[in-house]
Amino acid sequence: MDFSKNMIILNAIESALAGGEAVVVATLIDSGKLDHLSTGAKLLVPKFSQIEGSFGDARVDAVVINSAREIHETQLRVNVAVAYLSLANQLHFRTGKQLTSDAEIMFQLWEQPLRLIVVGAGHVGLAVATLGDFLGFSVTVIDDRDDFANRDRFPMADEVCCGNVDTEIDALQVDNTSHFVLVSRGHLQDELALRTVLGKGAGYVGMIGSKRRTRTVIDHLATEGYSSDELAAVSTPIGLNIGAETPEEIALSVLAEIVMLRRGALGERLSS
Amino acid sequence: MYPYIPLSVWKEAIVTSEIFAEIREAIAQGEPRVLATVANTRGSTPRKPGAIMLLRPDGTFRGTIGGGCGESEVWQDAMDTMADGIPRLTVVDLTEPIDGDDKICGGVMEIFVERVVD
Repeated sequence: MDFSKNMIILNAIESALAGGEAVVVATLIDSGKLDHLSTGAKLLVPKFSQIEGSFGDARVDAVVINSAREIHETQLRVNVAVAYLSLANQLHFRTGKQLTSDAEIMFQLWEQPLRLIVVGAGHVGLAVATLGDFLGFSVTVIDDRDDFANRDRFPMADEVCCGNVDTEIDALQVDNTSHFVLVSRGHLQDELALRTVLGKGAGYVGMIGSKRRTRTVIDHLATEGYSSDELAAVSTPIGLNIGAETPEEIALSVLAEIVMLRRGALGERLSS
Repeated sequence: MYPYIPLSVWKEAIVTSEIFAEIREAIAQGEPRVLATVANTRGSTPRKPGAIMLLRPDGTFRGTIGGGCGESEVWQDAMDTMADGIPRLTVVDLTEPIDGDDKICGGVMEIFVERVVD
């Protein structure tokens, strides 16, 4: 095997995990009856830049590259998927049993993981954490009440931090992959969390509350000298207007806004 | 078209970066390493697709593809790949308990084993 190629792939994956260009690595994990292909062959398909490697058959490469590009474009991202390649060079993604003639290809998408930091472990916080985990976010939950901020209540979270919200937020490494959802037990807590988060370079900061109350908080922080650009970037009231009422619906509204911003969409009805 | 699997990359991020660092180190030292990756699963399995384990020539490893549940079968195949350099797709069937072996998982895992450093 050509290990300089492995080095190229390794570099590309590490760069993707660190926030660079996302890459799909396709590996022939079983050549099946396609004897002319060798198991272990890899294709590196970056989102934009040049493709590296080959399965040793231009027609097979073409269908694999095509699928890798589709994975890049898919809205609900897949981390790992397996496809079966038929003798007629058709690729099938399915969970059922493979046919004996099929070769098997593993697709791995590598991109920077996203973090969702939920400040507030109440009903809304629980729903946001649950939906965030489902959507593939690494979830951190912060609350100062230990009967709420605990593992039993948040088995889906990667981290549950019980302590003062400002101290806990200060202890986090924050960058543009960090998404903060401020849904704590009261607006004073939310305001404290907002003060602590501002200026840290988070990719998203949203704060729950009525139009009037959130306006008061933003105005208050503006008079204290927080930058107006940064305050304008705060999503508050949080979420998309879908008429959300229950905690679960609010979570849907919040995550819909986050996905919309991340994918650069506008949130209009597709049918409109 | 694609089965949806949540990205659990972050949870694996520290182990993954340690494994990548070790691969780099091994390339520099000219030492072989074998990487085992969970490629496909059906039913209930201890690890999800994407989980990785890196095997060293002395048989020790870093990371896990499912402690206890089938890991030893993969380990043997990985040692074979370490020796002959031939990639393997190991199918671990956890649905049929062997006598006295309490396998609680009950699914099927496909694990791809490849030598990533010669």
